[in-house]
Amino acid sequence: MKKPIELTVNDELMQVEVEPQTTLLELIRDGLHLTGTKEGCGMGDCGTCIVLVDGKPVNSCLMLAADARGRSVTTIEGLAKGAELHPLQQSFIDQGAVQCGFCSPAMILSAKALLDEDPHPTEETIKRALSGVLCRCGSYKKIIAAVQAASPKES
Amino acid sequence: MKRLKPFAYREPKTLREAIRILVGEGPRAATLAGGTDLLVRMKQGVVTPSLLVNLKRIKGLDRIQRPKAGGLSIGTLSTIAALERSALVAKRYPVLAQAAGFLGSPSIRQLATLGGNVGRSSPAADMVPSLVVLKASVIAEGASGKREIPLDTFFKGPGQNALAPAEIITAIVVPDAAPSSGAAYVRLGRREGMDCALVGVAASLTLDGAGSVAEARLAMASCGPVPLRARGAEAFLSGGGLAEERLREAARLAAGETSPISDMRACADYRREMVEVLAYRALAAAVQTDRKAR
Amino acid sequence: METWIGRSVPRLDGREKVTGQAVYTVDVELPNMLHAAVLRSTRPHARIVDLDVSGAQSVPGVKAVVTGRDFPYTHGGMIKDQPFIAFDRVRYVGEVVAAVAAETEAIAQEAAARIRVRYEDLAAVFDPKEALAADAPILHEGMADYPHSPLYENIPGTNVCTIRTFTKGDVQTGFAEADAVYDDEFYIHAVAHTPMETHAAVAQHSPADGGYTVWSSSDGPHRRSKELAEALGLPVNKVRVLSTYSGGGFGGKGTLVAEATVVALAAFTGGRPVKMIFSREEELSAAQTRHAAYLRIKTGVKKDGTLVARSADLIWDKGAYASKGPDVTYRGAMTIFGPYRIPNLEVRSRLVYTNKQIAGAYRGYGVTQVTWACEAQMDMIAQRLGIDPVALRLKNCYVENDTFINGQVMKAVGLTETLQRAAREIGWGTPKAAASGPLRRGRGIATTLKGTATPTESQCVIIAAMDGSVTLLTSAVEVGAGQHTALAQIAAETIGVDPTTINVPNSDTFNTPYQFGTTSSRVTFHDGNAVRRAGERIRKRILEIAGEILQTDPGRLSMVNGRISEEGVGERAGIKEVFSQKFPRGGMIVEHGSYCPAGSELLKADPGMPQGLSSAFWMFATHAAEVEVDVETGIVKVLKVAAAHDVGRVVNPQLCEQQIEGSVVMGISNTLMEEFKLDRGRVLNNTLADYKLATMMDLPEIVAIMVEAGHPEGPYGAKGAGEPAVAPTAPAIAGAIFDAIGVRITDLPITPEKIRAALKKAPC
Repeated sequence: MKKPIELTVNDELMQVEVEPQTTLLELIRDGLHLTGTKEGCGMGDCGTCIVLVDGKPVNSCLMLAADARGRSVTTIEGLAKGAELHPLQQSFIDQGAVQCGFCSPAMILSAKALLDEDPHPTEETIKRALSGVLCRCGSYKKIIAAVQAASPKES
Repeated sequence: MKRLKPFAYREPKTLREAIRILVGEGPRAATLAGGTDLLVRMKQGVVTPSLLVNLKRIKGLDRIQRPKAGGLSIGTLSTIAALERSALVAKRYPVLAQAAGFLGSPSIRQLATLGGNVGRSSPAADMVPSLVVLKASVIAEGASGKREIPLDTFFKGPGQNALAPAEIITAIVVPDAAPSSGAAYVRLGRREGMDCALVGVAASLTLDGAGSVAEARLAMASCGPVPLRARGAEAFLSGGGLAEERLREAARLAAGETSPISDMRACADYRREMVEVLAYRALAAAVQTDRKAR
Repeated sequence: METWIGRSVPRLDGREKVTGQAVYTVDVELPNMLHAAVLRSTRPHARIVDLDVSGAQSVPGVKAVVTGRDFPYTHGGMIKDQPFIAFDRVRYVGEVVAAVAAETEAIAQEAAARIRVRYEDLAAVFDPKEALAADAPILHEGMADYPHSPLYENIPGTNVCTIRTFTKGDVQTGFAEADAVYDDEFYIHAVAHTPMETHAAVAQHSPADGGYTVWSSSDGPHRRSKELAEALGLPVNKVRVLSTYSGGGFGGKGTLVAEATVVALAAFTGGRPVKMIFSREEELSAAQTRHAAYLRIKTGVKKDGTLVARSADLIWDKGAYASKGPDVTYRGAMTIFGPYRIPNLEVRSRLVYTNKQIAGAYRGYGVTQVTWACEAQMDMIAQRLGIDPVALRLKNCYVENDTFINGQVMKAVGLTETLQRAAREIGWGTPKAAASGPLRRGRGIATTLKGTATPTESQCVIIAAMDGSVTLLTSAVEVGAGQHTALAQIAAETIGVDPTTINVPNSDTFNTPYQFGTTSSRVTFHDGNAVRRAGERIRKRILEIAGEILQTDPGRLSMVNGRISEEGVGERAGIKEVFSQKFPRGGMIVEHGSYCPAGSELLKADPGMPQGLSSAFWMFATHAAEVEVDVETGIVKVLKVAAAHDVGRVVNPQLCEQQIEGSVVMGISNTLMEEFKLDRGRVLNNTLADYKLATMMDLPEIVAIMVEAGHPEGPYGAKGAGEPAVAPTAPAIAGAIFDAIGVRITDLPITPEKIRAALKKAPC
């Protein structure tokens, strides 16, 4: 039985109808057609479905869409401002942190949440913060470099 | 990918309403907190609740606060991430923040709740050993009222606990730690990040004025059907000093008190052996945290 | 001096991937698309006695339910042994028994669960050694009748899917001449490819012409088209395969997997497309794996460490169907002698069916497996003879103009330098950190060589459009390694334009020309050569057009980054201006390029020796590892890996580093964390919680070292990089563990329990 919920997705307030069993991931991919968010396991074990909810990274495969009511969701599509990439997106390209790219949206969003809270993280902090996203291409070293390079310069 | 099968769904606004719904639906209803465990098991078809009662719209269940009487009250919906970052927890119960950092991944910890970790009653639950050594209790509320259940006696078997039907965990309470005490949680996984505990051991030590052990507590994850206490090792430590050989002997005793199983993650013998290694390391670390605190 | 070769040009697909715009197979959406789910066998080996699909058919929203009776076709690129959907028999837990197409994925799953099967169990066999026994249950009684290439000899009436042998010199004489002969057995386990994007495919059938269109992230679209066409009795021009971006493959997307199921379903949906996405559980239990293998090698050696003879007996675990196994294990078997000069050789390699998940191509294509045995034994020989492991390898390893086992003269051999530089970087021979509490440090080293599938063909088309903009049409798939970027750089260098302006669309077998596959580390070399040839032609034509427009001799013109200059005059025009004048009403120029090394002098073998063993180029790699072992827990932490790779001329250093760093992570993960837990062929750990991949927290310090032995026939001297990277990691770690605690692990994976058990036997 579908119920309407109101939520903000990438700064846009919207009303959508969801079934109780609809996960936030299904709402994002199938309902809103924002396919930049990926599903790698559906069980919370790989992290490729991570989006930001009120600025915090969550596994959207394990969150009911109904629980997004009244909250603000950011997906990878919400990061660039028009043609201008978010510094992390640019940094991922420059540092060679992208290979197959399937984990890149989740890595970038997790990194954004980290830098928003801690603009100058140590390597250990970056490793911990991003440890829930698996990358089979093994880009970890360059992803860490990309996060470091995107860290705002101290004035 | 596996999809959730349809279910009936309610979002009660009060605890009372939630309990009423649970009573009405009977045993096929399930309460939803963080969902990181329940939704996985539903997708796998391991559990098939007819009705999900989502507790997250009930206000106030996610508070971490210090009651007037002292100690700490952690609302059932407090996320593991909140525990990991809470200044209050960091100051008074650093072992809880430490254990929180082991659970799942950072994004899982944003969703997963303490009530869920305790209520799931998995013998591998990462939060439980530390809570046990801190003498925590579960506050549960049901149709017949509110009660407090010591965590020690809460677990009845894998996935089984002392909650009555339609009873809900509302908070976990932890008493003030004694002065001159320290606690630590040590655990073993196959990889550094995002791993479930092959074996986990929490230890707390309270010293008397003379520097002898006034009280010791050791609790272990993944070592039996429920989170276990090593009461023999605790008794051995009480009244004695902190010499390395005493800690090692206690660790040996603790290993003997376990009944781990062999499963795909590790064999029983290895687990038992690791209890000894980890119990020693947890005790040694507890001594260190105590020294740091002083 | 080149402009674009050797530069870290940012990958062309980067922007699409960081913005979430890149379309993978799982993202393909078509009008009226249906979704698939399958019922899989719960039995390792059984006859299907009764199959009742009525329960599924009655679920609202279900459009088709298909069984092997409805779609009685088999496929297999090497041996045609695999039904699209099981006929009357299942041979592994996870085999597709019936498939459903429905309006939603949830409905399809619900319907599949309502299909009822009655099985009559057959005796099953799970270990390839047991499967060789005279009384073992037989998986494929009809083996003799399977269409297969004559290269792959089988033994009907047994479980031997293929047997291959090779002999050179006389090993018995060699052993007799040796001062010592060592006979050791090693085991390497199966691992899952575990791409983050699980297997997926979309298929659409055209009832009008009987053809199929398939969307897939397979690494070889033209070969998939050929395999489907052969299986279904269709011409290739009725089977169109479109590539999307691939969320990782590592060899696992190199046969018909999800493709087979959606094609079968699409035949019954009246033209509606059908999409299937493997769940992670299916990916881990019913996709493909690396071949596990028992590797027995016997090596004769002189006191000074000179290798004089080696015989090997290899038994590979095939699982239920052939897939690419016959070739994977052949290539592996012929590399069991390592990158070493050994005069007397003998190998027998048997690929044996078992009632388990199918094994297929996995990064390294058999070479990863044999490198484990070869290099672990090299360490053991060094230890027994009291020779330094690096010195032993340097003494025997191939150098420029040495001959491979079939007599092929090897060119561009940078192996020695990889050994020296990896050893230096890890601090080989310098004192190690002292033991600290239960922690012990150790260092190890291992090396490998890898050829490429030879001879194979690659073609491409380059278009310069009416405005001078360039498009490269290739069927090389962007599997994540930066194939499109590297090819664009080669095109840019050859033509004289900026690579970031080149358009390289994803392939489509109806519109992009043939190439063998994005496999075997072959794209930069083969497709790069094709691109270079087409690029030279297009450059010539561009300059002819420029000469015509600028009214000068084209021979006096040159072009760099799209700017055309005249000798002695300087810059004259841009390609855009010239083309706008040439094509005022539209038009384009098109050139084709192809490359296949067949017939090349470089492949010549000794008389009587199989030229099929020659490789268009050889890659070499050495990994040196430093580890820390916790002797109380048995846990091994890899602290550092120095990985030196001879990849030929480096086209794009950043992309090369990605391959090397990434495969070190994969190698560590394969060696220390990954393992299938099976119960009678059923995968117990079918989640990523229990099938463990290395996380970012497991990342050691990695130093990627590129050795550039330029290849005479490679485009600008390039060779390849993708596969050899993962092979030496496991033996380097095992060697480091031995160095740390004196424990030699010979069976992978290396688990804390094995370390503890070994330490109890021989405490350090």
